[in-house]
Amino acid sequence: MTAVPAKGWVLQWAPWLIPVLFVLQAFFSSRLENWIHPTSFEASPVQRMDKRVASTLRAVAYVTGNKVLVGHLFWIGVIQYYGNDDNAGTRWAKLYDYCCLASDLNPQFISIYTFGANALAFHLKRYDQAAQLLAKGIKANPEAIRLKYLLAAIGFQSSDRVDLMIPVLEEEASRPDAPPLLVNILANTYEKMGRYEDAIQIWKKQLKEGDTDEKRIVAGQKLQEIYAILKSGKPGNRR
Amino acid sequence: MSRILSLTTFTFRELIRSNMLFVWLVWVVVLCGLAFLLSILSFGSILEIFMDLGLAGMEMAGLMVLLLGLAATYNTEMEQKAVFLHLAKPLTRGEYLLGRILGFFLVISLVVVGMGLVVVGLVVFVGGGTVPAMFYNSVVFLLLEMFVLTVVGMTYQAIGTSMAGVVLYSFFTIFLGHLVGEVEWLLTQQLSNGVKDMLKTVYYILPNLEAFNLKDRLYDPNLVLGWAQWQDALLYAFSYSFVVFLIGWINLEKKEFR
Repeated sequence: MTAVPAKGWVLQWAPWLIPVLFVLQAFFSSRLENWIHPTSFEASPVQRMDKRVASTLRAVAYVTGNKVLVGHLFWIGVIQYYGNDDNAGTRWAKLYDYCCLASDLNPQFISIYTFGANALAFHLKRYDQAAQLLAKGIKANPEAIRLKYLLAAIGFQSSDRVDLMIPVLEEEASRPDAPPLLVNILANTYEKMGRYEDAIQIWKKQLKEGDTDEKRIVAGQKLQEIYAILKSGKPGNRR
Repeated sequence: MSRILSLTTFTFRELIRSNMLFVWLVWVVVLCGLAFLLSILSFGSILEIFMDLGLAGMEMAGLMVLLLGLAATYNTEMEQKAVFLHLAKPLTRGEYLLGRILGFFLVISLVVVGMGLVVVGLVVFVGGGTVPAMFYNSVVFLLLEMFVLTVVGMTYQAIGTSMAGVVLYSFFTIFLGHLVGEVEWLLTQQLSNGVKDMLKTVYYILPNLEAFNLKDRLYDPNLVLGWAQWQDALLYAFSYSFVVFLIGWINLEKKEFR
């Protein structure tokens, strides 16, 4: 006959083990918390959309632990909103708020920023909102070069917001692996702003270090163009 | 050890026979349908959306199996007194509890990993895409979350006095466990001291399920996942589960089955 096994030392030590392990789990919980949430919760302020909708969506996302899933579902709602002609009367006033909320829930979903910024800038001509949305996207996704290009394009399109794109372009162009197109955009922007010396420096560098004949020819032509402007004695801000 | 393993096998078979794998089948169909619908309606990377949905679906399927399993086994074990058959054998109540936990966890793992294979298969072979390494890490973290919740659920079963109670306790633990991640933020807000004390208590007592929630950060370029993080996650899962297991065991020892 098999004897009933002893309850063992674990139960005897349980009154000591429980508090020790409880403190240990609290310690690891706090450490993991700092890792999983390096920055504290931050919600974009809503201006045009119903605050109750935003709060409810955030609550559902956080309580169920499915921010990305709720973000994807809400994103479909945003697309439906933009696709609905009934909202043309208000010029899609809630679009920016909707994109901000969708990006709060799903900050790594690049399409929110590209779609939202394109619609806001090139269709609705709300360049400031488009730039703010893209700045948020770039902060959350520093490696997403598409967003930087788009911010630069919006700055170029909106002549009064060229200031937005220069710091972004300078940072990107200073990288060793900066795409040549980006460097060219920076040089053209300097020229547009009337910063000819900065533009000349970039084109000279391109003329000297350009890895194809085409790039060196373009650089040479641009230098001629700028020197002609300076020679004509009418340099200045070409905006 | 063999006693625990026999009970694990028994629990595994019991759950499989109670058609728990249908949950897996239903979720696969629901997931594929939802992903297909979203890919038509949405704007963005279809495969990215599909993988996000897949991970959310895996978690939901695992939780569904856990809650349904807890309800089904409470009925047979506690109300129909099947627990007598186990405890009449040379088995401690701690071994009984551990065997049940491992059996539950095996079935849940089967469902979660099965769904993961479907998602990876569809992404690679149908979508022609690639699965990021973080996806596999997320699945392992999901399994850790499921293990912690299984221990909590089985402890509720040992403590609880009704099936509805056990399911409801587990249900609210899952929801509040995800909110624990935001408690630190809530503590910085202007709240009364009483509320803050209550929040702190909740923060330390409930499982911090956000610690295992990698699925929301699958594409986060700022996420660092090295040995140190793995170590913390494993030690947290182990220490929390062990505390809850001991509480469940002590309660089971004190329980008088009539």
